[in-house]
Amino acid sequence: MRRLQWAGILGVVFTCVWSVNCLYGQSDQKYKVFLDMSYSGNTWQAAAANGIKALAGTPPYDKLIEFKTIISGTDVQKQISDIQSMVAAGAKAIILYPLSPTALNRAIQQASKKGVLVFTYDSTVTEPLAYNVSNITAHYGANTAQWMVNKLGGKGEIIFNHGVAGTAVTKTYDEQAYAIFKKYPGIKIVGDFYGNWNDAISQEEVSKILAAHPNVDGIWTVDGTYGSLEAVVKNRPDRLVVIAGQSNNGYRLMMADPALQAKGLQGVSSSAGPAVGGYSFKLMMEVLLGKKKLTSHNVEYPLPWVEAKDVKVCSGDRFEDGCNVFPESKVPPLFLDTALDPKFLPELSLDAVQSGTPTAGAAIQPLPDPKYADGLPGINCQDCKAPADALEPNLVTPMPVQK
Amino acid sequence: MEMNDEARSTSGGMTALKPETVTAVLVLLSAVVMMLAMKLVNPTFGSVEQLAAILTTSIFLVVASYGQGLVILLGGIDLSIGVVMSISGMMIAGLTNGSNEALFWALPITLVTCLAVGLISGLGVALLKIPPFIMTLAMGTTFFGVALGVTAGSSQRTVAPMLQSLMSARLAGIPFPILFILCFLIAGSLLQSRTAAGRKLYAIGSSMVAARIVGLPVATITVAAYAVSGLGAGLAGILLAGYSSSATLDMGDPFLMPTIAAVVIGGACVTGGRGIYFGTFAGAIFLSVLSTIITMLSLSQGWRNIIQGGIIVIALILQTKQWYLFSMVNRQLTRKRPIYTGQPQNSET
Amino acid sequence: MSQPIRDRGRPLPSSAFAGLLCLAMYAVYFFKTPSAFSLTGVTDLLNNTVVLALAASGLTLVILAAELDLSSVGVIAVTNVVVATISTKLPAGAFLSLLAVCLLGCLAGLLNGWLVAFLGLQSLACTLGTMIVCEGMALLILDAPGGEVDAFIMNRLTDTFFAVIPVALLIMGLVVVLWLLFRQTRIGIAIYAIGADPVASRLSGLDVRWTKLIVFTLAGIAYALAGYMLSAQTGTGDPRVSNSFLLYAFAAVAIGGTALGGGRGGVVGSVIGAALLTVMQKLLFALGVAEFYTNIFNGVVMVAAILFGNLSAFVALHQRVRMAAR
Repeated sequence: MRRLQWAGILGVVFTCVWSVNCLYGQSDQKYKVFLDMSYSGNTWQAAAANGIKALAGTPPYDKLIEFKTIISGTDVQKQISDIQSMVAAGAKAIILYPLSPTALNRAIQQASKKGVLVFTYDSTVTEPLAYNVSNITAHYGANTAQWMVNKLGGKGEIIFNHGVAGTAVTKTYDEQAYAIFKKYPGIKIVGDFYGNWNDAISQEEVSKILAAHPNVDGIWTVDGTYGSLEAVVKNRPDRLVVIAGQSNNGYRLMMADPALQAKGLQGVSSSAGPAVGGYSFKLMMEVLLGKKKLTSHNVEYPLPWVEAKDVKVCSGDRFEDGCNVFPESKVPPLFLDTALDPKFLPELSLDAVQSGTPTAGAAIQPLPDPKYADGLPGINCQDCKAPADALEPNLVTPMPVQK
Repeated sequence: MEMNDEARSTSGGMTALKPETVTAVLVLLSAVVMMLAMKLVNPTFGSVEQLAAILTTSIFLVVASYGQGLVILLGGIDLSIGVVMSISGMMIAGLTNGSNEALFWALPITLVTCLAVGLISGLGVALLKIPPFIMTLAMGTTFFGVALGVTAGSSQRTVAPMLQSLMSARLAGIPFPILFILCFLIAGSLLQSRTAAGRKLYAIGSSMVAARIVGLPVATITVAAYAVSGLGAGLAGILLAGYSSSATLDMGDPFLMPTIAAVVIGGACVTGGRGIYFGTFAGAIFLSVLSTIITMLSLSQGWRNIIQGGIIVIALILQTKQWYLFSMVNRQLTRKRPIYTGQPQNSET
Repeated sequence: MSQPIRDRGRPLPSSAFAGLLCLAMYAVYFFKTPSAFSLTGVTDLLNNTVVLALAASGLTLVILAAELDLSSVGVIAVTNVVVATISTKLPAGAFLSLLAVCLLGCLAGLLNGWLVAFLGLQSLACTLGTMIVCEGMALLILDAPGGEVDAFIMNRLTDTFFAVIPVALLIMGLVVVLWLLFRQTRIGIAIYAIGADPVASRLSGLDVRWTKLIVFTLAGIAYALAGYMLSAQTGTGDPRVSNSFLLYAFAAVAIGGTALGGGRGGVVGSVIGAALLTVMQKLLFALGVAEFYTNIFNGVVMVAAILFGNLSAFVALHQRVRMAAR
């Protein structure tokens, strides 16, 4: 009797495992494509992932690929393990957000040698076999710092909002911005803090620094811009600041608001946008399907750059006719306008980046030829030298230094 | 070691101070000392506006550490506070969606949800005997996953304007958050130290075996403590959403470790049974002042970390040393006046 | 009436359930992903496990002595960046950096031990402070991920020994063997005594303070070795601290049957716990579990493993009581 019970249990277990195997069985006609996220649960990552998911479900890709998303979390060993798992599961292409520019190199190399196409988005790796798509080479720090200096006339007090310490992005942008600010003796950085790309922290810290330095003229940020500006609006509403930073919808609306401009608000909306994920994905698919051949492994995604005068409110669900911001009632204030890219990603609509569902009636449009990026040692290449103008602005003309 | 106030009253002497109160006062004093020292280095530091800003932004830590303090009093720990704060912020923002009327039903729903998360943790700890570290960690991880699935990580709509303006309102010139934390301090202290339930908490934390023998409802109190911790985190999340006018799924993460630090710096014993809310409150204020000072020093993140960690350790060292100070102070306070009968009557050396 | 007491044998250690669960997971994983059941596949899996196993082993010692230690990730970060900065710059870099990190780990452990045992600070808060300090030191040494790890470390330590046994397995085996020997020594027994009842231990003449100091120091060395292996895995340095790794370490210890209150458990269980957590990730992947369910799964499995552990301890106690009542 006992033996019968054991046999029964074993049989049930075996059937369960077998059926699970069949449920998630393999279909060999489609390419297996994986999206590997590391950070999750923040607006930027969610928008990027949703954009990629929406594109993966847009014809003709929906018939060509079997798409899966993996979240590796913030432990680099887990991401290494997941890359190995993906390769073992038969991936043909992996698009990932790497946690470290160097730690994954061996795993990526293993994958590439097995014929897997590996693309990264926004965050880069130094592994020569991987393809990097990012705008880290687009001189964000130098451009925004120079823009601020120009607007301030070469003198003023500035609050510096660092991103997460210990990342390549923070190191690169900080270096560029400091180099520019240092050139102008009239510019003083009166306070700096690590906002960690977080709006709540930025708001708290700016309000504290503002209380000690009531004459602050400008705030430089990479992210957490909305929070930084909110702190000024709530504590010193009659005198706003020159500010450079992210592309949150709320921030763009504030930038363009004539009432706020009258109080001194001058803002530029730039910074890395989630659309780089979708762009990287489309590029990867074109390479996978043989439609494109890339001559370099580092591709530059153009830096978004919207000033107050460029802000135009959209009437529909897409960015068309040059509009680049949604009305306040349509999206949350932290929604990133750079999740949409009408030029490279016309297939994405508002719903796509908020929920990951493909836009009805859309079909994948081909991409133009990519622009290749400079090599930055330790960022996207190993044995290379940074170009001589790595710290110079390339979008904004510097104003002369007044002695 | 509870000091019995009554037995110390002597003719001419004063009642002894409870050791925890002394600790709390000393922690607040150290915060003041730090501020004064900073003011010497940097004269722009320490203006009234800045103090107001520091106190205002400390509200989240003050509220969230209350529950952590209760749980630590039991000898446990709550690692889900960060996640519950984020979930609460996301819920209140998503449910109110910019309307004030929605607050009436969104507020209770959010608070009840957070209470429920804490309740589940408490049930796991009390009934299933799962170590609090693991139970609250598992709860945090699980509910983060649930929230991630439901919201896909997108940020939420604007919180009800009433909540936002509440955080920046002023009453007789004093910012509302500062009044709130003072009221919260009084209410929290009374609840923890003066109610019957609070006293049971202390008893259980001191010795669970003895508490069982005496017949205290250990399981109920344990579950209640974790539930209140969830509630506190929920309230802190709502306040944070009101402050930043928006909500993201990672907004609560920076607060978890500071709640633990605040409770411990405030004099509570990690194995339970000792600590008052005033101490936790002092610890939270201390940490807020510390982080502001570190920011003002304009150092690289590496040095910031070293100073922050070092100060935590120093604060702990000073706490153990101040026992000597305290016992000396108390001896002076409660010394019997010598009455000449030919024999010395006071027992101190 | 008086029957000879039938010896039903010693009750299973609480790590037995974790061990069985781990084996079951391995079996299902290899069944689902046959390609992983190769030397490279197994080596990769063990490479992913070894860092967590080393950290959890160190943590186990501290937890056995009824203390807590949050500084593991800080020490790992510091040692990782040190290896990445010096191992290629010095001759015999692999060996010298190993000495350097052991020294660093020893110092960190001594500091923790001195603060907790001799100054009487609470271990949770104190090690939180030292973790933050270590994080800061790592950022000072290397402000962004980079550096370069000596090729010997990177290639040989993640490879196989004579193309048969993965080096990671040898290292974990070495740790287990060292532990089994250590457990028999005076200090090893003293740790259990202190964890179970510090007052009684002190009254019976054990030097609680020195034992705790040694415990923290050994833990520090274990973390340093974990950092060294992390350098071997990733080939570079990263100054950032991963909070989720810290929580995995505690989970591994708890799953392995070590009581978080001290006095019960062992390193063997923690190594099994680390292996279980690592293979669970792979298994969830192989089963195609949707991404946000993995978090829920992690939480549920942690709780379930503890419950199994508690259940087995309860059953063992029940058996003993029944045996004794006969």
